[in-house]
Amino acid sequence: MARDGEPPASERVQVARIAAEAIDRTEGVTATPHGGGRWQTSGGGQTISGVLASENARGRVDVELHLAAEWPPPASLDELGEQLRDRIRRSAERGGLGERLGAISVAFDDLLTPGESS
Amino acid sequence: MSESEASSRTTAGDEQRSRSQGDGGGALQSEHGQTTIGEGVVTKVAGIAAREVPGVHDLGGGAERALGSMSQKAGMGENRGQGVSVETGEKEAAVDLSLVIDYGESIPRIAEAVRNQVIKRVEGITGLTVTEVNIVVNDLYFPGDHESQEESRVS
Repeated sequence: MARDGEPPASERVQVARIAAEAIDRTEGVTATPHGGGRWQTSGGGQTISGVLASENARGRVDVELHLAAEWPPPASLDELGEQLRDRIRRSAERGGLGERLGAISVAFDDLLTPGESS
Repeated sequence: MSESEASSRTTAGDEQRSRSQGDGGGALQSEHGQTTIGEGVVTKVAGIAAREVPGVHDLGGGAERALGSMSQKAGMGENRGQGVSVETGEKEAAVDLSLVIDYGESIPRIAEAVRNQVIKRVEGITGLTVTEVNIVVNDLYFPGDHESQEESRVS
């Protein structure tokens, strides 16, 4: 949804938002702001950290998630990756973006133990 | 006891297994996409797992532990990767650990328990297969070691 005075967000940004919401809803993971700004998507008046959404050669939007897992993780990291993929795909389909969604890569860059913060 | 006197190197399994090519992170491919586990993540899991075994006093060599202690006192928190080195491939991980064991404990028994715990935790949490866990016991901890160092030298 576009804010007042701003152009409507591109599908790339909409997909990035969906991915960010999936991260927020998934227990035990948090988006990592590391990467010197490489792992973020900007547009529609906002910057989404930890999500890199980019259009591929076939016109679909590939998504790359950069995450920190919290200790102890509630499930194995590959299971958490699958949960995220499922959530993103279902939300994209509900939002009419299912056909536009490409590959979803999940990278766990860090593990946050008690006392640490991302 | 000096570090060299107390060193004991053991290797998982009877067979020498080759490590997968390190690429800075383990990647688990599924039909829906790829999940990559960073080496730092595997390092922390292995370090936490090793510390869970009773009889393991600390991880790392003397200099590393001294630096870790200073960092902790400076409020920088505990270094979970201290004494741990990992190499990860697409589906496998190899782990090297440097341990300080409590005096009086059986080194072979502790080493085996650490190996089992590291394999269980790393495989269970990351989904990577652990091909080897190499352990160097580089020191023994005697009760009172730490306290005696902290006693004042003057009255």
